[in-house]
Amino acid sequence: MALFSAPKTHPLHSKARSLRLDILEMINHAGFGHIGSALSSVDILIALYNSELFNFKKDRFVLSAGHLCASLYAVLADAGYFDKQELFTFAQFNSRLQGHATINTPGVNYSAGSLGQGLSYSIGLALGDPKHHVVCLSSDGEHNEGQVWEAIMAANKFHLGNLISIVDYNGCQIGGTTQEIMPLEELAGKYLRFGWTVTTVDGHNFYELERVLKKSKDSSIYPACIIAKTVLGKGVSFMENNYQYHDIKKLAPDLFITAKNELQKY
Amino acid sequence: MSSKNTKLASMRRAFGEALFALALKNPNLYVIDADLYPSLYLTDFKARFRSRFIQVGVAENNAAAIAAGLSVTGKTVFLTSFACFSPAINWATIRQSICYNHHPVKIVGSHAGLMSADLGASHQMLEDVALMRTLPNMEVFAPIDASELKIMLPVIAYSQTSAYLRLVRPDTPLVNSARSFTIGKSRFLKRGDKITVLGYGPILTQLLLPDFDKFSLDIINCSSIKPLDDKTILTSIKKTGRCLVIEDHQQNGGLGEAVAKLILTSGQKCKFVHLGVDNAFGQSAHNYFDLYHHYALSPLAIRESLKKLLSTHAHS
Repeated sequence: MALFSAPKTHPLHSKARSLRLDILEMINHAGFGHIGSALSSVDILIALYNSELFNFKKDRFVLSAGHLCASLYAVLADAGYFDKQELFTFAQFNSRLQGHATINTPGVNYSAGSLGQGLSYSIGLALGDPKHHVVCLSSDGEHNEGQVWEAIMAANKFHLGNLISIVDYNGCQIGGTTQEIMPLEELAGKYLRFGWTVTTVDGHNFYELERVLKKSKDSSIYPACIIAKTVLGKGVSFMENNYQYHDIKKLAPDLFITAKNELQKY
Repeated sequence: MSSKNTKLASMRRAFGEALFALALKNPNLYVIDADLYPSLYLTDFKARFRSRFIQVGVAENNAAAIAAGLSVTGKTVFLTSFACFSPAINWATIRQSICYNHHPVKIVGSHAGLMSADLGASHQMLEDVALMRTLPNMEVFAPIDASELKIMLPVIAYSQTSAYLRLVRPDTPLVNSARSFTIGKSRFLKRGDKITVLGYGPILTQLLLPDFDKFSLDIINCSSIKPLDDKTILTSIKKTGRCLVIEDHQQNGGLGEAVAKLILTSGQKCKFVHLGVDNAFGQSAHNYFDLYHHYALSPLAIRESLKKLLSTHAHS
């Protein structure tokens, strides 16, 4: 099926491959990291940071799901916010790249880790600076948190046309599938009923991501939600859709080699 | 409480009026309200500064993180609710979105303590000071009366640190005579040389009863709970060798614990009594005097404690 089989023709595809390798290397080197959602979210972030739609000197990106920071670090390093070598300090003592995203890292606007707060924070930013856009990335599992729904209600009340909420919908959380832990059912319908404009998209397809980001940016009256259907651990066969790869310690050497080989061919 | 002729005033009304006055001068002053603005006397603020009054409903977590985000854009943000909801419900949001992210949001928690008598234990927030004084990048203040609130508020508003401001529900005695407030500075309400008395909020005014003059009390208003005025406290204790701490709050985690640690760390010898709620919830009563009596915080309990302190040798 077309979904989840991203066309390799897009110019950003090679970046999707090399940044996946960065993520694998940095997490394996650290012996810690949320690799599943880093690999599910990385294409969303690549599309966002390589699009000319946003100027992140003025527009703001908020990572609400702070645990998937490895993909953000890889994308920020690639975008020149800091040297790529620094990725190897991830989660080390004294590193600017903390285990969950913090404002100590150049390019990171919000210190996160406790789920469910970033969308509310983004509302504050969007209210205070209506001339610029705020893009918030959360996870599907994060929608277990009641605060997310408080924020979804409030964004509609305040007519925040400058707010975009992207959901990395990979269908997994720490202890199982989202369906098993707490069913989200039709998330798009829920956002829609709460007054948002909603688009569901293949979160690994750059053509689609670019189109939908533009459309969402142009929504000037309603807050816009992008539900990016993604695959946990995308690119590494044994990690894909396997919630046990929500987070990892050091991979066994043979698994690391398998993962690296697969990503090199991504 | 200090005498029958003492004037009473509402700390909450003073807050509403003082914030209105500040907002007239500062076009960047915003209120994020969790549907309790009438109780915080913000009805006039809401009417006059419509675009700067943001109503988020009964959703204190959302309110705290919106306040944090809004402050990034250069606004001075007050987050208003009752203490039993904010900072009680939204403590983890305050911890991450406000403190960890270094945003100088001002959190106003009203209806603190047993003073919210008839509302019952759910609303009688007795843990707020404990919750807030443990947070890095957070200052904690509790005015003794409406007058002190008015001199505190502008100072807190323009401080670049996040702050918690503790207010109470009833009209309380006006005792403050100071004209200015400095963060981290306490002030004397009475001078004496036998017993140091420390506290914050209106409960401390009970110590001003003429009855207690015979005990020669050095009464210090610790309205700046964090940062605490260590120097003034220790200087007084060095003189008296006896210390009574009183607060309308749990003993656990309260000012008393902060002072006990301060004294122990300093190496000074001191007789010490801590009056506060002892590991219990409150309950309803028609007036808070009945509750203060029940929880051993009334003038009767204070007198007993002062006697006990005087019956022992200081510095021994």
